[in-house]
Amino acid sequence: MATTTNYSWTTPDDTSLVKDGAAAIRTLGSSIDTTTKNLNPQTTTGALAYRSATSNVNTALPIGTAGQVLTVNSGATAPEWATPSSGAYTSIASGNLSGVSTVTISNISQAYRDLYLVAFNPVASSGRIGLRINGDTASNYQYWKVELDTGTGVGSNGVNVINVGLDITNATNWTYSFYIENYATTSYKPITVHHRKNNVANGTSGWAHWNNSSAYTSLTIVNTDAVNYTSGTYTLYGVK
Amino acid sequence: MDNLMLIEHNCETGEIVERELTAAELKQAEKDKAQHQAELARIEALANEKAALLERLGITAEEAKLLLN
Repeated sequence: MATTTNYSWTTPDDTSLVKDGAAAIRTLGSSIDTTTKNLNPQTTTGALAYRSATSNVNTALPIGTAGQVLTVNSGATAPEWATPSSGAYTSIASGNLSGVSTVTISNISQAYRDLYLVAFNPVASSGRIGLRINGDTASNYQYWKVELDTGTGVGSNGVNVINVGLDITNATNWTYSFYIENYATTSYKPITVHHRKNNVANGTSGWAHWNNSSAYTSLTIVNTDAVNYTSGTYTLYGVK
Repeated sequence: MDNLMLIEHNCETGEIVERELTAAELKQAEKDKAQHQAELARIEALANEKAALLERLGITAEEAKLLLN
């Protein structure tokens, strides 16, 4: 029997009988179908195909998660999705605060060492930026802060939100930042907080704590006076 | 007054949903506000107590800092 050059599909010889034509076409079609499927094994949206160890048989690689990049596995045998390691800070989530009082950032990748959350220029008629972990609204937070211009300190224990900054009161150029160490571990984690007004020598710095050892999977930014922000942005970075 | 709004930002899917707060979330927001106001009152009371004490002692805040350093 004659075969095709690339995939060795069986085709009728020149001397084959016409009466065998239907069977020959069926055999050829079946071979084409099998080869096509072997070369296109993807079954889900966004999946890729790469060559396996067997010629003309590809392997499907399902789509990765948001922010992942394509890289080569440790055995240098196949491609795989991975969270990028280049650069100390990787933006995980970002958006606008304008028009909302609350932002919940959920399903945070556990692939980083630390988290760095920045709220830039949050403007509202009143209130402060507050932070909650994993949606916990119980009185499981504590913090201590020092006002930089006066040098006075104040702390709270057993409160239902981390509230370390100064009142926003329609000021601009404020930056709130939260640095959370080892967030993916199941141990108690320190949170360092800075609140800085960029154009004057004022702000607060402090430390906060969530009285729970669970890994952090979501962060919630709230306005402590229950009003919508009129502008501002938020960005969550994963830190390697 | 504008309705209170919330953004749900799912890092895994990249999906961002903006919606109004639910009744339970509104209740929590009011609770947060009350706690915040109580916190401000507590801090103000502490400052007033401090000022009253300094007055009784007849020293300034700077002089009190010197004593504590």
